[in-house]
Amino acid sequence: MSALHKKLWRTIGKTREQFIAVVAVVTVGIAVYIAMTTAYFNLNESKEKFYRDHNFADYYFHVVKAPQQVTKQIETIPGVTRVTGRIQKDVTLVNDHNKRATARLTSYSLPIEQEINSLQLLTGRFFAEEAMAARPGEQYTRNGDIEILVDPQYAEANQLNFNDTVTIVAEGKMVPLTMVGTATGPEFIYLMKDAATLLPDPRSFGIIAMSLERAQQLLNLPGQVNQVLVTLAPGTDAEKVAEQVKSILEPYGNLAAYPRKQQLSNAMLEGELDSLKSSSRFMPAIFLGIAAAIQFVILGRMVRSQHLQIGVMKALGYNNRQVILHYTCYSVLVALCGAVLGTLLGLALASVMSRAYAVYFNLPATIGAVNIQAILYGFILSLGVSTLAGLTACRSVTAINPAESMRPEPPKGGGKTLVENLSWLWRRLDTAWKMSIRSAARNRGRFAITMMGVVFAVGMLVVSLFTIDAVDYMIESHFHQNQRYDYLIRFTSPVKENELLNITRVAGVNKAEPLLEIPVKIKFNGKNEDDSITGLNPGSTLKKLRDPREQPVEIPEAGLLISQRTAERLGAKVGDTVEVETLLGTGPARHAPVKIVGINKQLVGGGSFVSLEQANLILQERQLVSGVMLKVDPAFAAQLKEELEDMTAVSSILSRRQELDNFNQNMDSMVYSISIMVIFALLLGFAIVYNSSVISFSERQRELASLRVLGFTVKEVSGILLKENLLQSLLGVALGLPSGYLMVKGYISAVSTDLFTMPAIIYPTTYIYSALGGFFFIMVAHLLAVRGVRQLQLVEVLKNKD
Amino acid sequence: MTNTVLMRLNRITKTYHMGEVTVNALKETTLDVYRGEILVILGPSGSGKSTLLNIMGGMDLPTTGEVFFENRNLGMANDNQLTSYRRNEIGFVFQFYNLIPDLTARENVELAADLVDEPLAVTGVLRDVDLADRMDHFPSQMSGGEQQRVSIARAAVKNPRLLLCDEPTGALDYQTGKLILALLVKINRDRGSTVVIVTHNTPIGDMAHRVIRMRDGTIAEIRENASPLPPERIEW
Ligand SMILES: Nc1ncnc2c1ncn2[C@@H]1O[C@H](COP(=O)(O)OP(=O)(O)OP(=O)(O)O)[C@@H](O)[C@H]1O
Ligand SMILES: [Mg+2]
Repeated sequence: MSALHKKLWRTIGKTREQFIAVVAVVTVGIAVYIAMTTAYFNLNESKEKFYRDHNFADYYFHVVKAPQQVTKQIETIPGVTRVTGRIQKDVTLVNDHNKRATARLTSYSLPIEQEINSLQLLTGRFFAEEAMAARPGEQYTRNGDIEILVDPQYAEANQLNFNDTVTIVAEGKMVPLTMVGTATGPEFIYLMKDAATLLPDPRSFGIIAMSLERAQQLLNLPGQVNQVLVTLAPGTDAEKVAEQVKSILEPYGNLAAYPRKQQLSNAMLEGELDSLKSSSRFMPAIFLGIAAAIQFVILGRMVRSQHLQIGVMKALGYNNRQVILHYTCYSVLVALCGAVLGTLLGLALASVMSRAYAVYFNLPATIGAVNIQAILYGFILSLGVSTLAGLTACRSVTAINPAESMRPEPPKGGGKTLVENLSWLWRRLDTAWKMSIRSAARNRGRFAITMMGVVFAVGMLVVSLFTIDAVDYMIESHFHQNQRYDYLIRFTSPVKENELLNITRVAGVNKAEPLLEIPVKIKFNGKNEDDSITGLNPGSTLKKLRDPREQPVEIPEAGLLISQRTAERLGAKVGDTVEVETLLGTGPARHAPVKIVGINKQLVGGGSFVSLEQANLILQERQLVSGVMLKVDPAFAAQLKEELEDMTAVSSILSRRQELDNFNQNMDSMVYSISIMVIFALLLGFAIVYNSSVISFSERQRELASLRVLGFTVKEVSGILLKENLLQSLLGVALGLPSGYLMVKGYISAVSTDLFTMPAIIYPTTYIYSALGGFFFIMVAHLLAVRGVRQLQLVEVLKNKD
Repeated sequence: MTNTVLMRLNRITKTYHMGEVTVNALKETTLDVYRGEILVILGPSGSGKSTLLNIMGGMDLPTTGEVFFENRNLGMANDNQLTSYRRNEIGFVFQFYNLIPDLTARENVELAADLVDEPLAVTGVLRDVDLADRMDHFPSQMSGGEQQRVSIARAAVKNPRLLLCDEPTGALDYQTGKLILALLVKINRDRGSTVVIVTHNTPIGDMAHRVIRMRDGTIAEIRENASPLPPERIEW
């Protein structure tokens, strides 16, 4: 080992705490980069592979009902590569304990591989028709059961096993089905009933897959389908094909047509992928940036304090390149250690993230591949950033002239600081504060970098804690303020309002308010948007609406309270008249002009509102209701629910309690990722404050020692350092809070999807906790850094001029 | 001058261990420092002058032996007691001044004044060292002699009973050195502070009441000086 290398090792050994602190920041940066990139890569790959292997549809068409053969006609459209006709319908599912859930009954034709959105069997076997196709001559089914597959999350949530019976209500009859396995498909990766649902709830919503023939029998649609799925050749103009398909389907009652992009599961998955992608760039950038800044400061200080040694090295005959390389080696070592540790931590985090995704996403292909490319980039990134920081910090080496450097450091500038010009303030400051302010002014670069580090760390704390606020706010506004009912009952088909009497008369019902929900297409100015219109009685108390400024709005007697999202998409405003087209699966489609009288904002999903009367008017009906909201006496709740479950006309019962539980349960997993973020933020803040304190301490050892000789106590000397530290840190915290707000804004726009926006709500406590978190890491870093004051060797330090 | 003892060093030793090697910086040394005297410690490099002075100043503890300041036993003092001893009784002047670079001359002196209950007037002390017009200058804007004068002002402002100076003229030229010594004599005369000066510059001994000559970590000779010369008349 050369003498120069030995010198490097000794330097690192002597300042190992500092070395470890920078390495930790690099480690976190690389770990976050690798974890997020790997998670993104794996999730995206699994998605792509799943879509490819299972012919994920490019376009969806929903109709009232159409003959099966219509698919043949659609196949002839140029650009269409595959067409599948199927039946998909939400049916009521009656569980063991007579509880209701919704099942999306979906049919599949044989052979299954040919189908668009084909199924992937996960456990058990395919329904018998499939088995029979494979082995002709075998009995059609055992004892004539209807065999089905269910999605794995529903099966797990409801403890369904092979051969269990699942009962659904079809065409007004209870029908038992036999579960023979679990399967998933590319459209069911993120399984939610509709965009208005907050989160997946496998206890109340699942998929039932069965053969097309069985579905046709069961739903009394012989030879018919109600959905057509197509895949397109690459480069095909999807909208043009869609127009042609729609005109073919026109006679059969077009209900909805949408491209892959708008398919709910795909949209949610893409949203998650997008936000993962942007945070996989943003987060490591912060950490590596700060790490680079710290290295810059450390090396800059090293070069400055070893001014004399560098002069000697040069006088001996080392050239600039050798000297610069020597110092840059330090940051290269930091980079290497950080990259190695970061990769290990990153891979561990990636597998944690993949497991978390597995809970939300039904992706059969295993996620967990090690992404060599990410690791490689991680190393390149880490080395690149560090080398750059090192070289920049050492550039001053070239300016050191061996002869000149033998003289003591040039005198420091004694200019007046800004505060000194405010003489009234300056006069009130004690000497220790004056020292701190002048020292900060003298080391402006380091001061700024430390402050920025604190700003980022505190900002990150705000962002991490904000998620809790946002969720809390959503719970508060969604479950407590806006949604005041205990149960929302939906009927299998609309009933007359007076038929509600048998529900309102059930013991324990304190209040019942009817509603009429109509799926619609809203058209304006040549554009159209799918939406749903809910009719409520003006003055309804169980459902509250808010305008975009969060103020309560009442249901108008006439006119439409349009959803903010739909209004924005259509470019419609209050006063405009839109055309509403109903998309009910039964009866003729109705068209009605309605004037927009207000806008309502929902945190999740959309939904426009009208009065119950206006809704009936649109349908050209009278006194029709499709559901009822109930406020019940808690003492009767259990009994009441049971009675409701027994009514065949009831298709689903939405319990606020249950929704809330589901929500809270999902949030528990969030706490985990928030804790990791908080730890990272604290680490970041600690590392930068620690390093800058250690440097400032070592630069001023002599000064501090002479204070000790003058008679200053250890506490008083640490106090001087603390003041200097607080100066930059307090400013950092003060700026960190508003920066946190901006970062929250950025974060929201990164994670917002079409369907879901987080409210930019930050509670004061979040600011308080973030500030406290800031003080915490500042104090810990400070106390560790000034441990040395106690050990200051007065005699040593003062012995001779360094 | 009545010889009352201000500080008594009784058979003190100081040993440094560096791995295998043991350095006896001070071998059994006994010395009384009298109230109000000027004591000059002479000796070649490495003879233990600074070690002795540092022990007197409470910056360091002897390996064995007793140190009494009046009747306080410093040999048994803990860090807090040593700090308060330095704070209240001692003024220190260093060879390399050790001023706080971020404070002006006045502020450097204030820093020390703030430490004690009854300091002298800051501006008065600065005027005494002839720096009235440089009070608002930073150390980096002053010459070595000026910095050393600030350093003396900083030590004197606490009105300490014992003023310890380690090579106060070591980094200064001849003329400036004399000026500094004159200031120390002035403080001794006006305030009655006991002044101990370490130097390897033998002629400086002529200004002292007593001169101690050190050799190999011990006191080789103590000489009383019946009529000390004023610094202006010393030649070296
Ligand atoms: N921390 C230490 N570790 C080891 N040895 C030391 C230490 N401090 C001083 N010494 C040794 O103690 C002896 C006396 O040192 P001291 O500093 O008192 O000498 P000095 O008389 O002040 O010399 P100079 O005139 O050169 O300042 C020397 O031999 C020195 O090497
Ligand atoms: Mg010495």
